[in-house]
This record gives sequence, C-alpha cells and structure tokens, in this order.
Amino acid sequence: MIGLGKIIAVHSYKGGTGKTLLSLNLAATLVKHGKKVCLFDLDFRAPSLATLLDVTKGDCWLNDYLNGVCEIDKVLVDFTDRIHNGGKLFIGLANPATEAIRDMSAKDRKWEMRALGRLLALRNSLLSDKSFDYVVMDTSPGLQYSSINAIVSADLVIVATTFDKSDVDGTKRMLRELYDLFEKKTEIVLNKVLEGSTPVGKERMQTRVKDIYHAPLLGAIPCFCDVLRAQGNIIFVEDKPEHPFTRILDGIANEIDKM
Amino acid sequence: MRIATCTLVKQYEENAVSGQEALGKRPLQVLEKIRENLERLNEKMEVMIELQKHDHKDASLPLTDAPLDVMTLLSMPDHLRKTAMTLCRLGRATADEIAQQTRRARAVESAYLNQLVIMGHLKKERDGRKAYFYVERNGKG
Repeated sequence: MIGLGKIIAVHSYKGGTGKTLLSLNLAATLVKHGKKVCLFDLDFRAPSLATLLDVTKGDCWLNDYLNGVCEIDKVLVDFTDRIHNGGKLFIGLANPATEAIRDMSAKDRKWEMRALGRLLALRNSLLSDKSFDYVVMDTSPGLQYSSINAIVSADLVIVATTFDKSDVDGTKRMLRELYDLFEKKTEIVLNKVLEGSTPVGKERMQTRVKDIYHAPLLGAIPCFCDVLRAQGNIIFVEDKPEHPFTRILDGIANEIDKM
Repeated sequence: MRIATCTLVKQYEENAVSGQEALGKRPLQVLEKIRENLERLNEKMEVMIELQKHDHKDASLPLTDAPLDVMTLLSMPDHLRKTAMTLCRLGRATADEIAQQTRRARAVESAYLNQLVIMGHLKKERDGRKAYFYVERNGKG
C-alpha cells in the first residue's frame, strides 16, 4: 500500500457477534503480513483485550489518552513478540476496572466531542508520524458514543454480523442511518455461518448479503468449535497457522490491503 | 438588522474613498482590496441571512456553545454534516480549504460554515485576509 495507512473500525449492532475475536486476529494477521499495526480496545463499557492478553496493570490506558492526561505513546504496549516473523504489533487497552467503566459511562457531550478530536488526531500521530500501516479499533456494539467516534475517525468500517434476525434488522438500520450518513466505506463480515465453505455456498452468501445490506461481503467465518474451545485465550491465527479460520483471516487481510 | 446594514454601507463607502485615493498608484492592489472587501461584505450578508432564518436580531449577541459531538453530527441535515465532518477532520480551515475537500463551491461552503458558527457549533477568527473556522474543543465541561 502506498502512502498513509488506514484506520479500521470493527463494529456491530449486537454484542457477541465476534468483534473482539475478529479485531485481535485481523490485527495479528496484518502483522504476520509484515505490517506495523496498532490495535485499540474502544469498548469502554466492557473492556476485554486486557483480560485476553493477560494485562492486569498499566501506567496509561486509552481512557487516560481520551481524558487528555497522557499522550498516545504512553498507552501503547508492544506485543510484537507475541507474533513471530512479522511486522509490529502495538495495543492500546481500555481500563477494565469497574471505577473506570463507571467514569467512562458518565461522560457528557463536551467530553465526547473532545474525545472525537483526540481520536481524529491519531491519524497524524500514528499514521503520519509513527508510520503505522493500520490502526484497528475494536468498539462497543450499537449506537454508543465511543463507537460512533471510532466510526467517524475510521477510513473503513467492518461490520461483524450474523444471520440472527434481530441482528440483520439492526445492522440494516445502522448501514442506512449511521455509516451511510457519515459516508463511510463499509464491508460486512458474516460470523458463525453454517454454510459457505464451498464455492457455491460462498457465492450464494455473497448474493444474499448484497440483497440484504447493499454492502460488499469481506468475509464469511463458519462456526468453528476450535475457536470456541480456545475461549479467547490465544491469538488464534498465530497459534493455529494451518486452521481454516486463519486462512479466512488471511483472505480478509489481503482484501483490505488491496483497498 | 437595520444597524448592521448601516454599518455595512458606511464601511463600504469608507473603503470606496480609500480605494479612489490609491487608484492612480497601485491599480492591482486597489482591485485586490476591492475583492477582499466584497468578500467580507458577502460573508456578512450570509451571516445576516442566517440570523434572519434563526430569528436573531443582533449579530453581536454571543452565541451559545453547542458541542459538535457525533450525535449532533448525526442529527444535522446532510449538507451541513458534510461541511462539519470535513472541518472536524481538518481541525482548522478556510472555506476554500473545505471546498477543496467537499468539491462544492467556496461560496456554498462559506455559507454553511457561517451557519454552523451561528448555530454555535464552530468558531471563526480572522488572520489577515483569511477567515478560519475551527471546532472549539478546549472549553470547560
């Protein structure tokens, strides 16, 4: 990719669609492809990356950066050693302490406006100054301030969705009333699908997604028991390089790299 | 509204007199000055039109700060959202710089930016000839 890197927001209408799994493994896949990647946990209501990556204490969290009490350099934790033979991986974590969650949920509109300014400033500080190729933002589901701030800051929005009826309806509304209004490039990742591993199934699914959402399908991830069994304890694409899940993530990363 | 119009006419007459004095000396500079003043007049007219729309009587009245957060952006009409979003990305910009991004006419962007100033979402300041618009993010709250 020539020029400036990209900011990717991973979002969904409902919780439990696999945003965090997708964000972490997409970031790791991009690193395996030799990229310099920054992954952010912007789900301040239910932070999960700190737990998944066994980080219990931190000097500075993303909360502090958005509060304006520290710069982004202090927030980033180097996780490059967790991915072998690749680029670089830095992660910015949300503070999982109950007090921090309570504090973040009580912010007012002016604070949210300043937080948007701080997120928008990352384009310069991370993509221009520090030459990151990608910033991947894991967000809260639905219409949350922190998620919409991330969407506004992003170049690409990946919507993680399932064929659950309420998820389909909500995702359709979000495409029309959120991403379109902000003129965002949006791609769908279908998770927990029951068909689609065969070329015919894949084609049928692409048509179905286009009919429902009028947005392109970036990837379809079948329901893998191995992934469920891992219970989020591993970076799957790193620990299981030959697994079909890893190959699907490779395909998604390649598509993103071509954009 | 009437006071504002009188001020504008007076300002225009003063500029016209000073323009005549300099006419024989530096015609290009005079033309540039006229263009600059016409642009300012145009901007003031746009502000007056917007004030009329919002039923404000006095342009000098302080406008209330209305945070330009994402929910506000979502509730805006499309044409204003595009301008506001572009300014959010650029941080601080002239109408010309916004127009280059949105690919709309400078005069159109100038009108929208002034409307956003009147609505209390943006601030405006002059630096020489240029008018800069920005989002005030450093206030209390």
